[in-house]
Amino acid sequence: MVEETVLYLLVNRWSLHKGTNRTRRLAMAQDCAVQYEPVAEIGGGAYGTVYKARDRQSGKFVALKSVRVQTDQDGLPLSTVREVALLKRLEQFDHPNVVKLMDVCATLRTDQETKVTLVFEHVDQDLKTYLEKAPSPGLPASQIQDLMRQLLRGLAFLHSNCIVHRDLKPENILVTSRGQVKLADFGLARIYSCHMALTPVVVTLWYRAPEVLLQSSYATPVDIWSTGCIFAEMFRRKPLFRGESEVDQLGKIFEVIGLPTKEEWPTDVMLSQSNFSPISKRPISDFVPEITHQGADLLLNMLAFDPLRRISALNALDHPYFQEG
Amino acid sequence: MIREDELASAAATGNAECVGILLRDGVDVNAVNYFGRTPLQVMMMGSTAVSQLLLERGANPNVPDRKTGTTPLHDAAREGFLDTVEMLIKFNADTNARDHRDCRPIDLARENGHRDVVAFLESFRLQQ
Repeated sequence: MVEETVLYLLVNRWSLHKGTNRTRRLAMAQDCAVQYEPVAEIGGGAYGTVYKARDRQSGKFVALKSVRVQTDQDGLPLSTVREVALLKRLEQFDHPNVVKLMDVCATLRTDQETKVTLVFEHVDQDLKTYLEKAPSPGLPASQIQDLMRQLLRGLAFLHSNCIVHRDLKPENILVTSRGQVKLADFGLARIYSCHMALTPVVVTLWYRAPEVLLQSSYATPVDIWSTGCIFAEMFRRKPLFRGESEVDQLGKIFEVIGLPTKEEWPTDVMLSQSNFSPISKRPISDFVPEITHQGADLLLNMLAFDPLRRISALNALDHPYFQEG
Repeated sequence: MIREDELASAAATGNAECVGILLRDGVDVNAVNYFGRTPLQVMMMGSTAVSQLLLERGANPNVPDRKTGTTPLHDAAREGFLDTVEMLIKFNADTNARDHRDCRPIDLARENGHRDVVAFLESFRLQQ
């Protein structure tokens, strides 16, 4: 039902341009540009550019994320329509811990290429900034607990809708002036993926799960790993694992959780366990001194090497850590 | 990317380190980017580190958006970032500026339920 609406929206907007003259095409393109006026570039990559823009109706800022997709006589590829429909369907739940998708525009650029623009709510503060400006000695324990609860609620919501974020980091966890956490930049990976493969984009490795670094499996546990890294960072106010390459990142991880055994090592990967020097697990409190006993237990459950043994977002919310205080 | 665009983008993403480097490199703090906006107009409102760097370098806090008349103080008040509101006022942001809807910053703070910002702007007015 919703899928049909979006399909209609996209195809309808798209077909408005198709077969019409250049003036109509331009008029339509400007329609979107009239309501949302870009003010600065805030991200980019192989797939397209992200802009901070102002919604001229409300006066508020929005984030414009566009992706260029190839089109033929049938219009937009069905995969793109499906992904956009999924994002639109999420919108109906109005979840407090994910950013709102406010609008979707499709603009025909040439006969073979359409620009799909997703208009998201923009929050003028990310977790990175929030942590940086916390006065010494850092965030109070109760505030970390509250941020973590909200983060996990957002994540549990995405995961229950079969969305894997894949790139969770302090820069795309937004925090409003009222302390409300909102996850951003989710669900775009699959829309972008085919484009991203074409050009290497510089991405941070610090929050990557071991199975991603080893190019093994890819599922919801990868986000829990990132959440664990971020949980530790809330106490430390600096990243837990700051690797400079995939191998270096894995080395830094094993310095904390210990080198996995040969039995635990995934079988389908290029890099072998013997490439790493044997190292045993160290107490997590060596790296995150201020964490409580229950907090440390939750953190270790999030930083399990085996993705199948890693705690889920829903189970994490039931962890005794959240009963503390 | 030209340096004015870089500075604006660094400000908009809250990258204080990069903002600092570009300013030390001599990029004009009041130059507009490709979209005709100054770094202060597009900065990440929650980043007091960025607003402080820009304002101390002499960023003009009273440039209205050319389409909506919104000043940085309007934006900070609407989004409820009290620390940024205080910082802008310390550097002489006009608390009585009106946007194209004839709203002052305090009106936007009230409209969005940011009571702390409303209280601060009211007490500031009484001091004047």
